[in-house]
Amino acid sequence: MTPKPPSPSHPKTTGIPTVSFRARLAPRELTRPAPRDYTRLIGIVGAVIVGSLVLVAIFAPLIAPYDPTIRAGAPFSPPSAAHLLGTNDVGQDILSELIFGTRVSLMVGVVAASAAMLVGTAIGLVGGYFPRVGSIIMRGVDVVLVLPFLPLLIVLSAYLGRSVLNTILVIAFLIWAPTARVIRSQVLSLSRRDYVTAARSMNARDGYIIRRHVLPRTFLLAIGEFVAATSAAILLESSLSFLGLGDPLQKSWGSVLYWAQARGAFLTPAWQWWVVPPGLLIMLAALGFALLGYALEQKINPRLRRA
Amino acid sequence: MGPWRFLISRGGQYAIVLAVAISLNFVLPRLMPGSPLALLAGVEPSELTPEEREELISEAGLDQPMIVQYFRYWGNVLTFNFGTSFRMNEAIGDLILERLPWTLLITMTALLLSSLIGIALGVLAAWRRGRASDVVSLNTMIALDSTPSFWLGMLFVALFSVTLGWLPSYGAVTPGAQLAPWDAFVDIAAHAALPILTLTILSIPGIFLTMRYSTLSVMGEDFIRTAQAKGLTNTQVLSRHVVRNAIVPVSTVIALRLGFAFGGSVVIETVFSYPGLGRLVFEAVSSRDYPVMQATFLVFTIAVLVANILADLLYPRLDPRTRT
Repeated sequence: MTPKPPSPSHPKTTGIPTVSFRARLAPRELTRPAPRDYTRLIGIVGAVIVGSLVLVAIFAPLIAPYDPTIRAGAPFSPPSAAHLLGTNDVGQDILSELIFGTRVSLMVGVVAASAAMLVGTAIGLVGGYFPRVGSIIMRGVDVVLVLPFLPLLIVLSAYLGRSVLNTILVIAFLIWAPTARVIRSQVLSLSRRDYVTAARSMNARDGYIIRRHVLPRTFLLAIGEFVAATSAAILLESSLSFLGLGDPLQKSWGSVLYWAQARGAFLTPAWQWWVVPPGLLIMLAALGFALLGYALEQKINPRLRRA
Repeated sequence: MGPWRFLISRGGQYAIVLAVAISLNFVLPRLMPGSPLALLAGVEPSELTPEEREELISEAGLDQPMIVQYFRYWGNVLTFNFGTSFRMNEAIGDLILERLPWTLLITMTALLLSSLIGIALGVLAAWRRGRASDVVSLNTMIALDSTPSFWLGMLFVALFSVTLGWLPSYGAVTPGAQLAPWDAFVDIAAHAALPILTLTILSIPGIFLTMRYSTLSVMGEDFIRTAQAKGLTNTQVLSRHVVRNAIVPVSTVIALRLGFAFGGSVVIETVFSYPGLGRLVFEAVSSRDYPVMQATFLVFTIAVLVANILADLLYPRLDPRTRT
């Protein structure tokens, strides 16, 4: 793992000890300038993935070969020309289930993340702009961050009952806290800038300063956070649906896997068309939003990740 | 802030978290629509005669004022009296103790393995920053971070248990088998292998990414240049100066994972029908066994808190600069 020392550019004429040779080369090896920036490429890949999934969700009725709620063929049939990904235990077309599932999975992710972004931004704004009240509020945020995530999610959804709205509420309730933290640190630094002090010295009201000087620069950051939170929300939704806590009437990718597991699809060759595709879709969606969120955040505020 | 003030303020914060968790447990079943009797005693009120209903209500203390019920609940929690499971008719405390070792076995082994692998790969990637091996491993880790854990587990069962037939696909031991000590050990290891593999693979990215970033920032420090200047080999610099400093923030991440690994086991144990705490949560949820759900939620909260306290105690030992 020691990097191969490059051949010296000049012949060794004097007896230069190896030590100085290494000392001259190695620091450059260690502190090499950052390599090419891939942020743009990452952003484009993320946008393409997210864009195609959104298109599938919008045009689901046109793309899907069957209505996913009807019995379209014999149960447990392997892939064929009529059913590209076979059928499930009640004869529904798996491909159509997945295409329509895109709607539920994306909607839960996007709506939960938007709600979390609104709450997180509001709390982060108050917490950062009014430091006294803020330190108390942030104590509350810390409490939410420490609660065990998945078990709380499961307990809450078990009590609330299985519906898309409840899934969204529960996920949103659990993912706003990190956003609040990031927004708060941004607002804290913004509200200490000279131009804010200047505005205050000219008797500007808090509402004016927040609208004019703080919000515009925080808003972009909140969008980056929102996209990243969507990725987390999609994964959480799939876990909940897999545990049988999703809406029984609205099929998502996670609930397709729940039925595959319940019917033992992974014990038969059916795993190839019943288990692999939904998981790949979940992974693709989570990855697409994560990449897009990363690229946005780098673009908006490259230094923030270090803080 | 002095070390004592720090510990007291942290301790206060953890006490609040525990109080919030216990209060959530108390409030949730009483907020839900319908009679709390169904949630707290496991019976539908419509199936009972009025006398039986009265008896159950006073037995569960539901006729008392809310505040009395609240303090009584605290008393029960603090004496580890979680009541009986509706479904299994067994004391919940015993049920948890029975399941806990299995969860500890798979989560702790997976945490150990993923820490070792994550740290090693993280240092390597940082060292070869920007080269093909760094870019490939970084992208693999980001993709793994987006992989649903239960799906990976299902694929492993399909591959290693069903197709190849190497490992058992469910349970923690072969049921009903009388085995010699060594064979029993092999049997347990074979059953735990796939859950551990899945948990390990999915815990690596978090540790890898922290280690890589931490190593990169240490490599830019002046004392590394000094070490280079005094003629140490790259291996010496790496092992004596870079890794030792870079590992400090990672150790906190690992300690915190300890708590959350428990939560992650819910999904994994469900896939492998592994009889640990996580599987108990799933069983309780599917059979609406609310007291078991509540008790396991508290156990998970305590696990996270213990992990946090461990991280707080560990940090000043590893990084003398934070000692005051």
